Amino acid sequence: MAKIELTDVSVTFNAHQQKRVSLKEYLIRGLLFRPSANPVLRVRALEGINITARDGDRIGIIGHNGAGKSTLLKTLAGVYPPTTGTRVVEGKICSLFDITLGFEPEATGWENILYRSYLQGETPASIRGKLDEIAAFSELGDFLNIAVRNYSQGMMMRLAFSIATAIDPEVLLVDEVLAVGDLAFTRKAQARMRELMKTARLMVIVAHDLETIRDLCTRVIWMTHGQMVMSGDPKEVVSAYVQAMTGASTQAAA
Amino acid sequence: MFRHLSAVWTARHFVLSLVKLDLRLRYRRSVLGIGWSLLNPIAMTTVFTVVFSQLFGNGNPIGYAAFALAGLAVWGFLRDAATGGSKAFLANEAYIRQSPLPYTIYTLRTVLGQAIHTTMALGVVIVVLACWKGEAGVLVGVLLALPGFLLALVAAWAIATIGAFICAFFHDTAHILEVSCQIGFFLTPIMYDRKVLDNRGLAWLVDINPANLYLSVIRDPLLNGIPSATEFAQLGNAYVAAFVFTAALVGLAVGVVSWLQKKVIFHL
Repeated sequence: MAKIELTDVSVTFNAHQQKRVSLKEYLIRGLLFRPSANPVLRVRALEGINITARDGDRIGIIGHNGAGKSTLLKTLAGVYPPTTGTRVVEGKICSLFDITLGFEPEATGWENILYRSYLQGETPASIRGKLDEIAAFSELGDFLNIAVRNYSQGMMMRLAFSIATAIDPEVLLVDEVLAVGDLAFTRKAQARMRELMKTARLMVIVAHDLETIRDLCTRVIWMTHGQMVMSGDPKEVVSAYVQAMTGASTQAAA
Repeated sequence: MFRHLSAVWTARHFVLSLVKLDLRLRYRRSVLGIGWSLLNPIAMTTVFTVVFSQLFGNGNPIGYAAFALAGLAVWGFLRDAATGGSKAFLANEAYIRQSPLPYTIYTLRTVLGQAIHTTMALGVVIVVLACWKGEAGVLVGVLLALPGFLLALVAAWAIATIGAFICAFFHDTAHILEVSCQIGFFLTPIMYDRKVLDNRGLAWLVDINPANLYLSVIRDPLLNGIPSATEFAQLGNAYVAAFVFTAALVGLAVGVVSWLQKKVIFHL
């Protein structure tokens, strides 16, 4: 039984202009009350998010760049702890975020299959049977024998997607990763996602490809500046979003 | 804390497979392979023996060599845990951003790899001692030193975790630790026996040194073999002190983890 429940969740953090906060900086700010050369920007990444989802829900998230879609996914995955509000996510979570990350570049494709599977909670016994299936789905063939640093982005995405969907996740979180695949693989990936959805799983997907969102999802959430603007039927939300965007651009052009 | 530890145990396949990878990668494409991890301490020991055995070793070069190598191995382990462990989160940022695994598994990855290298160096010490002394006492020494090594492992993990969390907030921590370790090296009885300082009334310098606690529960039993009554009593005291200090370190690490684990992701 997979379940997602976010109740009045907000995620706020401090971003510094320069990444490195030195001890000197910290002391100046704290002790001498002088304005520092490395000012803090208080980022309200998510505010007042309420989402409830059960088995069989496929939620699509759309919005402008910087709206907080990826932050929402990371909060669902448990990577970002909510600053306020409660997060309840039940079921085995598998997340597909930046797929070029989380590979060991010097290890081979086969080894990376093992590492990523272990990262997602598999054991050596459970993964042994699935190795061939994963390799076959990725269609990488002999490339699996060489180090992953030689792979293209698309190849890495194929590998990551094959691993993620082979482990039978109950909650699948996908963050704009399918854009890099070629046409054949994108179709294959969508087919597999539909297959996964049949077995009553939960999926949350962020994409800019509105066609995919409209076809795949049972519910769509439109986010702006960290807040949920609209949530409901895919066709309605997507057309409202498109209208708002085109309306805005025609206004800007005029 | 037990929930955290059971989460670490659940992630054990992930950590162990990466430790294996780290070991393999450390010396890929090199001729000696894993032998290089022994070369550094052995080379240092050779230099120390040639230069200092007359001065500090009472003219007993093999005994001094074993003494120096054991000291270097233990010190190196603690130093690398502090300095290398501090960089653990920055090195594993990709995994941290993807998966809500407990943060301590990344410091564990670093510390386990270092522990394996230290075991190899200590293995050389044991072989040297076995050949030189040629008695069953060496085995007894190993058995007595083993719990000390486990204590050092736990302490190293705690140090690495504390260092890693603080380093995520203040990046200069790694450099500060490196400099402190450089200084600490000369203040710790690694090249010289502690009697050198004791005889000059500087025994307190050795007593307040935390690294010395682990040296006395690993190096001393290894070198002494079968202990006499006084040595055994001393070892007992040393173990108690080391245990208390390790427990304090673990407590500090637990505190740091629960305080900072919700904040650290935003600082990476």
